[in-house]
Amino acid sequence: MKNIVLFCAAGMSTSLLVSKMRAAAQAKGFECEINAHGLSEARQYGPDADIILLGPQVSYKLKETQALFPDKIVETIDMMDYGMMNGEKVMTHVIEVLGK
Amino acid sequence: MVAFQIIAAVGTARSKYIEAIDLAGEGKFEEARGMINEGVEAFNGGHAAHGELLTKFANGELPPMDILMTHAEDQLMSAEAFGILAEKFITLYEKIYK
Repeated sequence: MKNIVLFCAAGMSTSLLVSKMRAAAQAKGFECEINAHGLSEARQYGPDADIILLGPQVSYKLKETQALFPDKIVETIDMMDYGMMNGEKVMTHVIEVLGK
Repeated sequence: MVAFQIIAAVGTARSKYIEAIDLAGEGKFEEARGMINEGVEAFNGGHAAHGELLTKFANGELPPMDILMTHAEDQLMSAEAFGILAEKFITLYEKIYK
């Protein structure tokens, strides 16, 4: 089962995107764990992730997070997808990336 | 959901402003200013959405005030502050590099 981890400034707004992503994953029959945490907890929750997604508020930490987890897929969430809380679109992208 | 759109827009802006400061720190001033412009573009989207709420308020239509909207406003003011300071940081780094 794939472990999808989202990091945000405090994890609040991203948690709502997570709910939408979980619904989308269920609809697609894609088994996975999806959770959001504050970026300050990156060292705690990053290691078990199959993919790490950063919210727009912390996109400036992309290079730093990639350096912290060099063997993992680390990406920023598209601003529009995040703003529209488009869990479906983000989930589709994640499935595609993890499938490679 | 207006609050999320604001959060995404101004959150992106804030990140761009911080990246701009980092670029200036590396002496890449043109790139830094370009990054500021990207930040401003993102910020304006959030600011415009927020402005619409203020207009509605002026016309007697109460905006939805909940913890998410409070978070959006907080992020907006933070982004604005970072924008102002980022410009000043670039100027400062330019002085250091000369």
